[in-house]
Amino acid sequence: MLARLLTFLAVTLVTVPAARAADECLVCHSALGDTPSTMYPGDIHYRKGISCSGCHGGNPESSDPERAMDTTAGFIGVPRGNAISTACARCHSNAAQMKRWNSSVPTGQLEQLQASVHGKLSIEGRDRIAQCTSCHGVHQITAVGSPKSPVYPSNVVTTCARCHNNAVYIRSYNPSLPVDQLEKYRTSVHGIRNAKGDPKTAECASCHGSHGILSAKDVKSSVYPTNIPSTCERCHADPGYMKEYGIATDQYAKYAKSVHGVALLQKNDLGAPACNSCHGNHGAAPPGVESVSKVCGTCHALNADLFSASPHKKAFDERHLPECETCHGNHAIIVATDKLLGVSPEAVCSRCHSTADFPRGYRVAATMRALIDSLETSEAIADSLVENAEQKGMEIGEAKYKLREIRQARLESRTMVHSFNEEKFDAVVTKGLTVAAWVGGEARNALAEYVFRRIGLGVSTLIITVLAVALWLFIRRLERKQVREETVTNNSSIS
Amino acid sequence: MSTLGKKLYRWVDDRVHLGDLIEFMGKKYVPVHRGSIWYYFGGVTLFLFLIQVITGILLLLYYKGSEDLAFESIQFLMSKVSFGWLIRSVHSWSANLFILAAFIHMFSVFFEKSYRPPREMTWLSGMFMLFLGFGFGFSGYLLPWNELAFFATKVGTDIAGVIPLVGKPMMIFLRGGEDVTGATLSRFFGFHVAVLPGLFTVLLGIHLLLVQRQGMSEPLGAEDSPAADKKTMPFFPNFLLRDLLFWLIVLNVLAILAVFFPWELGQKADAFAPAPAGIRPEWYFLFMFQTLKYLPAQLWIVDGEVLGILLFALAGILWTLVPFWDRKSAKGQQSRIITYVGIGAIVYILVFTILGWLF
Repeated sequence: MLARLLTFLAVTLVTVPAARAADECLVCHSALGDTPSTMYPGDIHYRKGISCSGCHGGNPESSDPERAMDTTAGFIGVPRGNAISTACARCHSNAAQMKRWNSSVPTGQLEQLQASVHGKLSIEGRDRIAQCTSCHGVHQITAVGSPKSPVYPSNVVTTCARCHNNAVYIRSYNPSLPVDQLEKYRTSVHGIRNAKGDPKTAECASCHGSHGILSAKDVKSSVYPTNIPSTCERCHADPGYMKEYGIATDQYAKYAKSVHGVALLQKNDLGAPACNSCHGNHGAAPPGVESVSKVCGTCHALNADLFSASPHKKAFDERHLPECETCHGNHAIIVATDKLLGVSPEAVCSRCHSTADFPRGYRVAATMRALIDSLETSEAIADSLVENAEQKGMEIGEAKYKLREIRQARLESRTMVHSFNEEKFDAVVTKGLTVAAWVGGEARNALAEYVFRRIGLGVSTLIITVLAVALWLFIRRLERKQVREETVTNNSSIS
Repeated sequence: MSTLGKKLYRWVDDRVHLGDLIEFMGKKYVPVHRGSIWYYFGGVTLFLFLIQVITGILLLLYYKGSEDLAFESIQFLMSKVSFGWLIRSVHSWSANLFILAAFIHMFSVFFEKSYRPPREMTWLSGMFMLFLGFGFGFSGYLLPWNELAFFATKVGTDIAGVIPLVGKPMMIFLRGGEDVTGATLSRFFGFHVAVLPGLFTVLLGIHLLLVQRQGMSEPLGAEDSPAADKKTMPFFPNFLLRDLLFWLIVLNVLAILAVFFPWELGQKADAFAPAPAGIRPEWYFLFMFQTLKYLPAQLWIVDGEVLGILLFALAGILWTLVPFWDRKSAKGQQSRIITYVGIGAIVYILVFTILGWLF
């Protein structure tokens, strides 16, 4: 007992500022040897001169337990539930108070916490899910920048995992939320570096935020699909920040202009991939050469299957060429047009195939390009003929509907390119060309019918007009005859 | 006449005494005056009705009156059947010209006050035929089962549904249920090809019989002129040949319209699709439709739309019964108020139709 008292006195004399008044709470509780009072001298609040009563209330100047812990003097005991965060907020949400402690810590954390996904009611239905102490701890709270802090970059992942790795606990709030984030994170480049003590690599709070964490389904969340690229960009597009890692910082700029980036960022197409779609999120890592087609194949399944069964698969593997990326690129993937196919200088096939190197592939590429060009031309002609016939008021609904089949065949042929099989490709293109020929024929017939109608109209109008004129002349002749007969009858009756 | 022709004529004459008919027609005279041209619009309306009957029967050879097949059958008719496009276009155009000709005929009779005794029944039968003509137009509009017709029918039957007391049951009767569905199409088809033509034929028979029996109406005051001062022309062959001349001109106009402005088919109706922009009824309903659009939702304690419909119904009834309340014309006196009412009606219809077309 004496030893404890001496220790307490030694610690107090060393750490408490000289002007500090005696904290009778600590004196008694330390003498009793309870854990909180033993821990508290290591707490940043203690160092700032904040007494136990700062959170627990009561009179720290009285050595009489009755008076010190008198509830009429404001003693609240151990705060529970929301009262914990309310106790913290008494100072942390008060800018003037924080200024007095010479602190630059922002004062909006409680508001952010209350608005966050952790600010929702817990399953008991009384208090919020998380309080300040859930992450920052209690009685031995250190500055966020201290390696001892549970929210320090190398510690925060295990702090979050205390709940998020607990399947039973998480299931009670969100059964669909995975609980393997930490395991995945440990396999990621970020996680490996974090484990080595690198505070700069991304951890939970880097992407999800801290006090104001929102559900990933919330459009305002930093990990909502359309926000992910800019979240990753914060570090990965900063040359100064990334300098020591020796990786490029132009991924975001390239991605934003790519077909995927335009779809996600400009068209808000949530089906389009963000960074995490290819690299993973918690287990983020660059896909290896051998797994690129698996990554792309998640969405482009048919293309990936065709490629895997094609002769290119073996050739690429042997040369350690990343499969899809070799022709399409990675972050700066542009819209794949037919120009990529063939043997022209802009075609990707010609990078490996020439009349000298791999000549069979060169010939197949040239044939495929000629076929797809011919299908495109046939589609354009059929389209134009149908439009022309429609503009002339001809009923050509069925042919117009069949135009879709040509387009479908063209899309199929662009997929079939990945088989690099001339026969299969030819079959798809021929199907499209057959429909295009039928549609073109129908449209031409409609246009011929249009001319026929005009001629028919001219002839029938002429016949009707001639009949009308003849009838008019007949009426006039008849009426003149009637007048003459009437005149003769009148004259004869007069005479 | 050739010998064979004479023999045939004699054969028929022996049995039905054609000579009597020719003699009757030969004694029939049509008044000739500055408004004689309007007499021909009755004949033109009849001619257009006959075209409707003939083209309608031809359309029936291919049309299938069901929700799943109606649109496709018209599409087939227009694109695959020889001259199918022409038949449909002529049917649609002549339907519109028929209403136009009937309007002209009605207004000419109205301004000439030809409805005055003893021709009240002729006027009434004509008015009923005009209403049936509206019914033909409304029911026929839906038959292609295209998007515009579907939603226009929905709006049209909705309007009918707001009439107090009888509106809702009438709407359900017309639609064959709460909504416009295949059941609506089936009964509109039935009305269009069976019920309405049957009624129309009876009324047409009465109308023509009355015209033949009573002859053409003379302008007000002309009855008192001495017979020697009256200019006339024989109904047969002079008037009938001129009628034929008009018919040929109308036929030419119809052919030009059908070829240069073929009646569009549009998109197939889809009950789940949003209503397309620019839904409007046929032009002859447009002035009423536009008026209802301009009326405020509530007029004092009465619903604006209900009031509008009731006012149109009242105006229609008064117009139809004009022979019975225009006492001046009945006495052979000029009735300027009636003329002003007629001019007002024409101006109103024209202005609101144009507004409906523009906005």
